[in-house]
Amino acid sequence: MIHDELDELEIAPPDVVRQVARNFAATLSETRQFMDFEAAAERLNHDQPAQKAIADFQTKQQSLQMMIRLNAVSPADQAELERLQHAYLSEASVVDYIQAQQALVAICQAAGEIISQAIGLDYSASCSASCCG
Amino acid sequence: MKTPKENFPVELAAAAEELSEYLLAAEPFIVYKRAQNHFSADLQAQRLLEQLSSLQSSLRSAQSNRNVSETDIQQLRGLQNDVRQNATIMEYAQAQQNAINYLREINQEISQLLGLDFAALARQTTC
Repeated sequence: MIHDELDELEIAPPDVVRQVARNFAATLSETRQFMDFEAAAERLNHDQPAQKAIADFQTKQQSLQMMIRLNAVSPADQAELERLQHAYLSEASVVDYIQAQQALVAICQAAGEIISQAIGLDYSASCSASCCG
Repeated sequence: MKTPKENFPVELAAAAEELSEYLLAAEPFIVYKRAQNHFSADLQAQRLLEQLSSLQSSLRSAQSNRNVSETDIQQLRGLQNDVRQNATIMEYAQAQQNAINYLREINQEISQLLGLDFAALARQTTC
């Protein structure tokens, strides 16, 4: 019923909308924030000491998963977990990566907000299985 | 996290606005907006949804006290059936779902070019 009433001239062709979406992606990829993030990710990927520090923390965390769920981690294990976390968070390439990621997320949130306000739907929530990921 | 205006690229804002305009001109969104207008003008449909929402809320509270009767259940099922039979509500819900599905396709287009999930990056942190 509603489809019969649509004026064909009012409708943007699907291919055109997809091209505009690609233009948006290209513009985002050319921002300083996006390029900084890609560079930081590349540096982190090639930083073996940082990668080892992250792996050590994740291994310890995984070994304590059950105790974490039970909220029953021993003080010694908790201290070790915090030490390992502090160790990887102290790596320069990790710090740079986190900062670059936060800057990228900030502009993506702002762009998403523009789109959401205009279309009357929450862009991220619509594209996610749930609002919390 | 609110980004300071001086850090938000003007070109990106313009690209987001352009994308928004074209999304609104895409068929799924035109249909969605028209269905939304029909729903906004239909007070009976709105009352029906409010009744269902209100009953569901009170039954959730009653359920926690194991205080839900067979009459309550039948009332709930009756309202749910009324909602399913309401053309305005069903049209609105279907149009909204189609718009959401379309948005997911667009996000996939964007994310494929970026190599990252744009929707995940754009997620507001508060739930």
